[in-house]
Amino acid sequence: MRYLLYLLIAIILVPSIAAAGYREEFEREFLSKPWAGEQVEVDACIGCHSSDTMKQEYRWIVENWKSSWHAQNNISCHDCHGGDPKDAAMSMSPSRGFIGTPKYAEVPDFCGKCHIGILKNYLESGHGKALKASGRGPVCITCHGTHRIDKASIDIINEQTCTKCHSYDRARRMKQALFVVEKKMGDMERDLKTLRSEGIFVDEKERSLFSTQAEFRALFHTVDVSLVSERTDDFTKKLSILDKNMQDTFAELRFRKNFSAFLMLLFAGMGVIIFIYSKLPKE
Amino acid sequence: MGKKIEDWLEVRIGLNDLRRTQLLEYRVPKNINLLYTLGFAAMIGYVIQVISGIFLLIYYIPHPGYAFGSVQDIMSKVPYGWLFRQIHIVGGNLLIATVLLHMLTVFLMGNYSRPRELTWVGGGLMLIITFIFGLSGYLLPWSQLSYWATTVVSSIPSAFPIIGDATARIFKGGDQVSGTTLSRFFALHVAILPPIFLFLMGLHVFLIRRIGISATPFGMSDDEKRPLTEFRKKTHTDGHPFYPYFFQKMMFMVMMYGAVMFFAITFLPTLFLPVEANTPADPLKTPSHIKPEWYFLAPYQMLKLIPNKFFGISIQLILIGIFLLWPFLDSQKEKNILKRPVLRGVFFFLLATWIALTFWGRY
Repeated sequence: MRYLLYLLIAIILVPSIAAAGYREEFEREFLSKPWAGEQVEVDACIGCHSSDTMKQEYRWIVENWKSSWHAQNNISCHDCHGGDPKDAAMSMSPSRGFIGTPKYAEVPDFCGKCHIGILKNYLESGHGKALKASGRGPVCITCHGTHRIDKASIDIINEQTCTKCHSYDRARRMKQALFVVEKKMGDMERDLKTLRSEGIFVDEKERSLFSTQAEFRALFHTVDVSLVSERTDDFTKKLSILDKNMQDTFAELRFRKNFSAFLMLLFAGMGVIIFIYSKLPKE
Repeated sequence: MGKKIEDWLEVRIGLNDLRRTQLLEYRVPKNINLLYTLGFAAMIGYVIQVISGIFLLIYYIPHPGYAFGSVQDIMSKVPYGWLFRQIHIVGGNLLIATVLLHMLTVFLMGNYSRPRELTWVGGGLMLIITFIFGLSGYLLPWSQLSYWATTVVSSIPSAFPIIGDATARIFKGGDQVSGTTLSRFFALHVAILPPIFLFLMGLHVFLIRRIGISATPFGMSDDEKRPLTEFRKKTHTDGHPFYPYFFQKMMFMVMMYGAVMFFAITFLPTLFLPVEANTPADPLKTPSHIKPEWYFLAPYQMLKLIPNKFFGISIQLILIGIFLLWPFLDSQKEKNILKRPVLRGVFFFLLATWIALTFWGRY
């Protein structure tokens, strides 16, 4: 029996040593997947803009983008600027949809490709009308900046930014009108994060909160304080329904914990009883 | 009522005779310890997996379009669905740990040696099937974690020359992990493996009862060193009756098994459910930080370290072969590992390597 096993070992080992090298598919699947380390995706835009050959004034773009809300949500260069990041030679070809840097007045349309509702409200607002009339009104990047675009928050409304063009008084009133709903949405985002970390599938709730957030923030871009105040109740009600749903999930999680703790104690207790019983003197 | 049922059974199957021969007259060694109950705890662990698995089967849909949703429904909409799924997940991992511990103690106490070679081989095969249960069940939730873990694991056979690619394709049902793979793994998990496993378990229990429980070498001397010329059942006439002496020990271990399982469900509910396990599978998006289950971490790390992958896999297959056939390879009459320094050294070296590779693979 032993000799048979030795023979089997030799049969497997000898050709295995001889067949040195990798099998193609194995190498592709096993060594390139994250199990074997971080996967690096080829991106011509990032590659060139990060390289030493790039002008210093263009190199900061990648660093800024990396810390942006867009980067966190996998929105890359080509999603806004077009082009083909997989093909370095054609990456900036208009035939691959490359747009490059938009002119100042074109910025709202540039961002509005994705942020459709916001574009509509912006164009109807004082900000949008000013741009149309003079070509010098504030555009998206005036408040949100370029490339290093933070997650939207009411902190963007601040004296320093708003007073670049006008007094802060009206902006302050807008910020006050937004505060309650924004705070509620911030709290709910944190709760969703907690639920996700507790193993609850929250995609549906996240979508619902995201759509409410998007709607509310689009409304803000009208810069109409009375309209925002008027609609605050609607949004509060909408959020309350979602919040109730989330609080129910938290209650369910507490119940689960208590119930399984009860079962744990039941088993441990029965174990102790059996142990004590087994030590009692038998007849 | 109870008496009536007892009498009814007595005249039909001879209940009292069964009780006398199988529980009271069936004796176990005097120095038997709690470690001997690990096998029974594992058996109960399998029963728990079957019951919770059948519950999940009622609601689970083995289709790429619905699998993830059906699992989420089990977790959130089906009454106590979360409990059954958690029992199945935590129970599966605890079961593997228990079986490993069982085999470890059997090895350390030398209970694998003759005349129990078949019992050991059967147990080893059951361990391998348990791993395949874990692997096939892992894909079923159709999450990012399960999809990508299976993509990587199912590519391992392709490291073999000639038959490798074909084997990997049979495994996956194509070049990629797809709906076909899900169907195959589902069939394997719920229909193909269970009967094979049940047969092996039946054989294992039969052999234990037929040959008799081995006395631990840490206590009294064993007369099993005699030349093996005829079958002689180990009856332990001077030992304890199986019931209630050993039965109580077994029940105690089962309760501890349950307590540990519910401890993990209560205090570590996401231990085996990281964020990727809660994200639907996306074949176009490779997540980072995905690792195999803890019991595959050591072979995974070993494969990463050995440059020639076929050689790496061959080494692992040889180790599995040696592990399975060890009773036939071990010709020493001495059973006590404490008196065998070479075997002890090799064993603890392999164990330490396995633990080190597991942690290395994890971090």
